[in-house]
Amino acid sequence: MTNLNAFGLINDKREDALVTHFKRNIGRRVFILTEAFPFMFIGEIKGVMEDIVALDVETTSVPALEGKEWKVHIDSIDVFYIETGIGAKIPHLKDNSVEDAT
Amino acid sequence: MIRKYHVVAIPIRIVLNTFGDHNPNGMMYVLKENEQKIRDLVKKNPFSPIELVRPLVIRANEGEIVEILFENKLSFNTSMHFQNAEYDVCQSDGASVGLNEDSTVAPFDSTVYRIHAIKEGVYLFSDLGNPASGEKGSNSNGLLGSLFVEKRFSWWTDPETGKTMNSGVYADIHHPLLPSFREYAWIFHDEMEVNDLTGNRPINHLTNQEEESFHGANYRFEPINRRQQLIAEGVVCPNCEGEEVHHDSWVFGDPSTPILRGYVGDPARIRVIHGGVKETHVFHYHVHQWLSDPQDLSSEILDAQSTSPQTHYTIEPLYGLGSLQGSFGDAIIHCHLYPHFAAGMWGLNRVFNTLQDGSQCYPNGVPIKSLQPLPDRKAPPKPTKLKPGFPNFIPGKVGYKAPRPPLGIIGGRGLTELERNAAIENPKPGAVFTDPCPESAIDQVFNISLIELPITYNKQGWHDPKGRIYILDEDLEDVCSGKKEPEPLVFHATAHTSYHINFTNRLPHILDGDAFQLVTRTYETGCHVHFVKFDVLVNDGANVGWNYDSSVLPGETIQYKYYADVELKAWFFHDHLYPNAHQQHGVFGAGVVHPRFTKFLNSTTGEKTNYGTQITSLNPIIPDYRDFVLFVQDFALLFDKNGMPLNPPKFPGSNDDPGLFGVNYKNEPLQFRLGSDCDPAYTFSSYVNGDPITPILRAYEGDSIRIRLLQGSQEESHSLNIHGLRWLRERHNLNSKMEEQQHIGISESFTVETYIPRSGDYLWAFETEEDLWNGLWGLIRAYDEKVPDLIPLTDRPVPLKRSKPLPECNGKKPPRAADPTRMPVKNGPVRYFDVVAFQIPIMYNDYGDYDAHGIVFSLKEDMDAILKGTKRPEPLVIRGNVGDTVEVTVTSLLKKELFPFKDGIYPYPTVKQQAYYPPSLRISLHPQLIQYDVKTSAGETVGFNGDQTVGPGESRTYRWEVDAQVGSCGMWDMADIRNHKSQGAFGAFIAEPRGTEYLNPYTLEPVRTGASVILRNALLPDIREFVMIMHDGVRLLDKNDDVIIDPLAGVLLPPPPEEVEEVDTYDQGSRGFNYRNERLINRFLEKPVLHDLFSSRVFKDPATPLFESYVGDPVTIRLITPAERRRAHTFHLHGHRWRFEAMNINSRTESFSGFNIAGGNQNLELLGGAGAYKGFPGDYMYRSGNIMWDIEQGMWGIMRVYNELNKILPPLEE
Repeated sequence: MTNLNAFGLINDKREDALVTHFKRNIGRRVFILTEAFPFMFIGEIKGVMEDIVALDVETTSVPALEGKEWKVHIDSIDVFYIETGIGAKIPHLKDNSVEDAT
Repeated sequence: MIRKYHVVAIPIRIVLNTFGDHNPNGMMYVLKENEQKIRDLVKKNPFSPIELVRPLVIRANEGEIVEILFENKLSFNTSMHFQNAEYDVCQSDGASVGLNEDSTVAPFDSTVYRIHAIKEGVYLFSDLGNPASGEKGSNSNGLLGSLFVEKRFSWWTDPETGKTMNSGVYADIHHPLLPSFREYAWIFHDEMEVNDLTGNRPINHLTNQEEESFHGANYRFEPINRRQQLIAEGVVCPNCEGEEVHHDSWVFGDPSTPILRGYVGDPARIRVIHGGVKETHVFHYHVHQWLSDPQDLSSEILDAQSTSPQTHYTIEPLYGLGSLQGSFGDAIIHCHLYPHFAAGMWGLNRVFNTLQDGSQCYPNGVPIKSLQPLPDRKAPPKPTKLKPGFPNFIPGKVGYKAPRPPLGIIGGRGLTELERNAAIENPKPGAVFTDPCPESAIDQVFNISLIELPITYNKQGWHDPKGRIYILDEDLEDVCSGKKEPEPLVFHATAHTSYHINFTNRLPHILDGDAFQLVTRTYETGCHVHFVKFDVLVNDGANVGWNYDSSVLPGETIQYKYYADVELKAWFFHDHLYPNAHQQHGVFGAGVVHPRFTKFLNSTTGEKTNYGTQITSLNPIIPDYRDFVLFVQDFALLFDKNGMPLNPPKFPGSNDDPGLFGVNYKNEPLQFRLGSDCDPAYTFSSYVNGDPITPILRAYEGDSIRIRLLQGSQEESHSLNIHGLRWLRERHNLNSKMEEQQHIGISESFTVETYIPRSGDYLWAFETEEDLWNGLWGLIRAYDEKVPDLIPLTDRPVPLKRSKPLPECNGKKPPRAADPTRMPVKNGPVRYFDVVAFQIPIMYNDYGDYDAHGIVFSLKEDMDAILKGTKRPEPLVIRGNVGDTVEVTVTSLLKKELFPFKDGIYPYPTVKQQAYYPPSLRISLHPQLIQYDVKTSAGETVGFNGDQTVGPGESRTYRWEVDAQVGSCGMWDMADIRNHKSQGAFGAFIAEPRGTEYLNPYTLEPVRTGASVILRNALLPDIREFVMIMHDGVRLLDKNDDVIIDPLAGVLLPPPPEEVEEVDTYDQGSRGFNYRNERLINRFLEKPVLHDLFSSRVFKDPATPLFESYVGDPVTIRLITPAERRRAHTFHLHGHRWRFEAMNINSRTESFSGFNIAGGNQNLELLGGAGAYKGFPGDYMYRSGNIMWDIEQGMWGIMRVYNELNKILPPLEE
């Protein structure tokens, strides 16, 4: 039982830390990879409700999902990177226009 | 639950089209309840197709037992052999194999077959009582059908009446929980006997020679020959040529071939089955795409898919009928091999947008049969006078060519009132009845023309004087003036692109005649595309059914519009109006849809570009990559520098395998690559002959690359092998099988996504013997240091400044490659193999058929026994475990005097363009899939790599690393592809799990080689491993030392000599498994009873390997095809299934493995082990699925499964 409790504690701590981290970074741009569709999000963190992050999504793998607010469960995030001003900037991705290509 | 059917095999006259072409000696399976009805209808209608005369399709649900009372009313023993099913092999195999009871049925007798329908899918059934391939055989005459196994609790209704049904090629399938769907059987078959109305073989009205052989679907075909005759006779469309209206229902009415009917958005499954006996076909379905495995979301997206005899698959079009864009109209379905397409192997998928209740007519007055809406979908609107629905709003004129689309043609017409009513709110050029492009998509405009110009294919001046190519308008001047080499047009864009194509027809009105072709008026052309989304009615670049003719006349420009919704592979485009006449001249190209946000650069200059067969792609998220495109082509109609035709057909207009081959309009024939010493071992060396003129795909060491593989023309299968680079079969699935080889048919598209681990020259080759001989090979060159004309990828380390000059051609023998064993071993343990190559006659069977000039690899320790005759030669099979380093020392003991033809010109089997190519005494050993440095251990001498072959008495050690559990890897010689490989210079390397021991299955002693072993691993159960090496192109002599002219020499019940047709070069030669075959003709001459020919009760066990096991033993089959002809073989094992993707639990499970061709390798883990889940003991036949010219020629054997302890075979450890 002790071990199970310890597991529970670790998971709670991990989740708390992620929630806190995302809350601290509300208003910043984030890059997220998820295992499930649509696999990638780039956008701004709008808010955190319990363990769900609200994103203003600029870019995903599918254009139809862009320009909308999406809610991502923190447990479904495999990898993320928040643009804090220190370190690399998350690129602003644009579809190639004719001018780009020619 | 037990489901019962009473099936009768009957002789029947099969009328194949409305022109009265028929097979007087047809045979079919029929439900007993329909037998008399069919016989009566056929009697009353001797020259009309009868709807009920279709291949029998019956259905059952997953988990059921299907009991079939089978009655034979044919004059010889027949049967029903089911694929995919489990059954008691002694009772329900539908064959008489090995020591089993005979489960074929004598004339006018009956039996009961009991089949376990384990899993949903296609259970093809066909006869094995009569394995003859010709017109006296059963399969070619129609004795085939299918059991479709549906999800549990399903039921099925007639799409027209809505009533439940017992059999039929079309059904609506329903389920209490799952969506209803349309189910269509599309059963390809070929080589059927066909007579015309007069009872004679049809004559082609243009050449006045015998017509092509039968190619059709569901007992129907609609050949161009017949339709064109109506034009010639002035019955219809007097201003038409023929091919451009072959599929036009305005001119001819609907074809006799299948029309798969549905409403926009209906879920559908097409069960594609190859019931034919010989050819590999390519199923192509306009407008729609599907996953290669509907159960596996990470499987490849396809819109054209090869199928070899007795293979099958299910097509579930993504988004349902009409695809994402909801396009209604006629989507043609056809075999993409143009001679087959022209011969009549096509039909339609008709997608209605209004309700069909039986009260409507087509424009020609033929009633439209009612079509029940699927019960769980909203019915489409009823047709009205103002909105009559497809096809009745199209302003066509019956008997004349389809009208051109509104809006699309520059200077063309607008919309009629009915068209406006049917159109979307804002119709635009190319998007009139549906607009596939969302507003947010990025617009890209490409101005494309189709032109004619001479194309030179190689340094020797072989050329196509009437090359025809797509070209961007901005390149017209440079290419036509000779400043720029012509290459297939490839343009690049990213996902979420809206393409606007302005296509101009700049071809001359006439394709002139020559030794290859008759004069053809190719006055209209178009641009038909694959994969991307479009409005099929106006934008198909084709002239199909009741659609518009979306092509243009000379000088005209038409606007097409497409949408690329997601990243796709290369999408193929070509002309759909005259492809049979001119696609082989080069009329093909591709677009590549890259990941979003990719930018494209010219690899030499670094400037932005959006077209080209070699570019550099930069992406901010994923690794940058080089993007390369290879188009293979056959039927290239070339002339030599003196204007003499190369491999012309016997008469112009014949499709009998004319011309040669190309890749990106180039070839580099091996006959021109001999150096001063005339040693074929240096054929691929750039030191001797310079680089080939074929594409050299350039990159730096470590670069990611994507090779887009396409086939542009025209009829044959090809097999790309890349030596030393491997990729995942399913790009999105890390557990997918790794490949170094890909079979391809025309219009298919594959992406090889990989990276180049080390610098050096890597060989790519279409590696069947004839392809390679005639120049279908080139290099991937990975530089170790900077070169001035190749930009580096931005996310890779900057290449170092060049410290040594690049090697150059000096005409001399290449320097020896460095010794790889001088480097310290990185991974251990090290396995050493001492391999010798020597010549020895190989006995193929007990009837005395033998290869007098066999060349084998063997372990040195076995050589004496083989030479003495105490050990029979077998292909060398060696093994290593993951983590091992393998050092193979090869020694050549070849002797010049033992080669039969000192000039390398074999009188049989032949290849096109035979030429002097004297046997090399050097030899090498090239492996697939495992890792090595191509500069030292590829087992070949390629490009500017050093010499890795060995001469007589010389030895060389290769070092290979087994870094992954890839299982089957082919191994073969690369020193002389003409004089060594078909003679036996091949073998197999098997990469096993770490820690595996290999035991002799009879002695349980450890072994170092052998086709049958037990794999013992501390973490795995004991597994029996059977290595089956399929090969062909063998020159065998019989016991009287006469050359066996297989395949014809092996044909059972052959036609009279005057009717024997010539065999294509790629069918020539004998074939077998593991240097053995059991040619049925030998048995037949001994005892001429067809259904007994596989029986070990009547004969001995066959000469091919007998693989033995006990019920339930885990079994893995390693199936390898190292050599060498272009005809693809299907592999089938009776009564067992395996996962297509062994590591994917969701993978489809089948009992066949398709298109085995040079370089193919498969790992087949039998589900349930030997005897499958139900555990039936007995003799299970392994064999080719090609009835024509494989089974008769001995490509079969037995896997024997015991249920009682056998003295000589120790059981596996528990």
